[in-house]
Amino acid sequence: MNKLAIISAFLGGQKNRYMVYQDECSLAEKFARVARIQGADGLELCYPADFENPNELKGLLEQYKLGVSAINFRSRRTGKWLRGSFVSEQKSERAEVVDDLRRTMDFAAELGCNRITTCPLNEGADTPFEMDYVRAYDYAVETFSAACAHNRAVRICIEYKKNDPMGRCLLGTAGETAAFAQITGAENLGATLDIGHALYAEERPAQSAALLAKANRLFYVHLNDNDGRADWDLLPGAFHTWEFVELFYTLRKLGYDDDWYGYDVVSKELDIVENLTAAMTLTRKLEEITDRIDPAIMDDLQTQRNSARTLPYLYSLL
Amino acid sequence: MFNLRFSANAGFYGLRRDRFTQYQPPRSLEERISLIARTQGIKGVELKYPADFADLPLLQTLLADHDLMLVAVNVDIKDAQHFLHGALSAPDPAARRYAVTLLQEGMDIAAELGANLVTTCPLADGYDYPFQLDYSTTWGRFIDSAHEVAAYRSDVRFCLEYQPHEPHAHILLNNVGKVLHVCASVGLPNIGANLDIGHAFAALEAPAEAAALLASQNRLFYTHTNDNTGDGGDSDMISGSVHFWHWLELLFTLDRLGYDGWLGGDIVPKQMDPVAAYSTNSLMVQRMAALLEQIGTEKIAALQAKGGNPAEMFDLLSSFMPKLVTETTLI
Repeated sequence: MNKLAIISAFLGGQKNRYMVYQDECSLAEKFARVARIQGADGLELCYPADFENPNELKGLLEQYKLGVSAINFRSRRTGKWLRGSFVSEQKSERAEVVDDLRRTMDFAAELGCNRITTCPLNEGADTPFEMDYVRAYDYAVETFSAACAHNRAVRICIEYKKNDPMGRCLLGTAGETAAFAQITGAENLGATLDIGHALYAEERPAQSAALLAKANRLFYVHLNDNDGRADWDLLPGAFHTWEFVELFYTLRKLGYDDDWYGYDVVSKELDIVENLTAAMTLTRKLEEITDRIDPAIMDDLQTQRNSARTLPYLYSLL
Repeated sequence: MFNLRFSANAGFYGLRRDRFTQYQPPRSLEERISLIARTQGIKGVELKYPADFADLPLLQTLLADHDLMLVAVNVDIKDAQHFLHGALSAPDPAARRYAVTLLQEGMDIAAELGANLVTTCPLADGYDYPFQLDYSTTWGRFIDSAHEVAAYRSDVRFCLEYQPHEPHAHILLNNVGKVLHVCASVGLPNIGANLDIGHAFAALEAPAEAAALLASQNRLFYTHTNDNTGDGGDSDMISGSVHFWHWLELLFTLDRLGYDGWLGGDIVPKQMDPVAAYSTNSLMVQRMAALLEQIGTEKIAALQAKGGNPAEMFDLLSSFMPKLVTETTLI
């Protein structure tokens, strides 16, 4: 069974371009909140925010006995890297991000999670003709390859996303991410499949999982949901109930069943502990429905490919 | 071509943030007004109430010194402190009262400074999940509040700016049809729309059609000019940088409608110099308008009257492009 980790950034103050929600809180308070979220097994830590005092961090991990699923390396920072870091036209910025990523990999090795996830949000363009895409991919190959070579035991997961804050990100879909990782040839470069990002990129999450796994690039999974139009980071199953069941069923078949799920679920006006407890509960409920699927029956149904039989079977499980 | 009058949204000349990043340094009202005055083509300014109106005499001096007109008072009814669960439609009567009061205060200031126009984008009024709202009572409250604002004083126009989503997955006022519904339900002549072109694209509309519908009901009071990638997001990009043909159609339509409102620049410069970004935004609109005149608005209208055959229309519209050696023309 996969363990459940909350991304630390979603435990305190959150903002969007219109509103500021929840109060900023200390790292210690974030740990205290996770401890109150029923069903949570650990955290996905954010770099650099959570690593200002590594000794305090280690003390908190020890004190609360919480696991670490991954370190989320922030490649967008206020006041810098606004035109991308991994694909910046400035060599110094590309070197800077690789250096910083190497430091984060060292932390990941030290904490034993051996996994970095990063969402390259500023690696993209707003307008036509803004960016030389060919050169941008070359830069991305150069920077990600250099980071991956630092420690092959640490996996770097690119959390692909179609857009926001750029009009179009360079790595926006499962296919683009798989192809890119394969172009680099680095075996420790793969994908974080964020279900919300996949859904609003008009993907079927189970299909994306299968493709990434075929390319040996399915390294990590983030759970959340949306209405298919934008990245609202809502509770899993709020919109795509059967898609989640199909995803969980597929992940088990692919062997992603003794790992971690990370949660980017935004609480906005809701109580953080209550909202994330609901995220844990809904995940386990959806898994429970998945458990009711008889693999032999499903295998037969998928061989027949007759939805007139498959959907009634699924609904008979409720 | 109709009178192209450009203004700028002063809020976008200072510190902006999105979910992920902050852009631009914080700039005082003085600094922002001074930058707007240096922006080519800009004669008017849209300011945020209450934030920009803390010192009214100073503001009046700044506007006079820089020869800028206040064209719109943008009333902010979306801060999380008061409007976490809605503003015009909030279930809490105190929150609704506060939203209405802010808008009424904005109207008084708009009248005092001669703008006679307030605009608001009711983004706190929305929802994320199925079953989150009782839509009937929520919409009832929204329309009652809108009526109270419009009825407060008839000499100031009250513009509603629709937007399909953000920060909620659904905003109540998410398309041009709903604005027209609110206007018809309120039934007063001084309530209308601020047509934000990017929001219309995000709502999968053709802005020219939205403009025509609003104008047909005398509800087109103001526009925000910008563009986006058309994927449903509202990235507030330079006008015409993506939807070039739709922008030409919009300007053609505004001209036919005799639009006499301001064109309010509403672009987020992010990493760009705001003066350069807003100058180019106005320049793009002016050049597109000049291009329409070069193509011939009467010729376009005549083709539309004939039934608007797209093959003929685009042959005409693209006539400004370089001629091909082997070219034949349909017209």
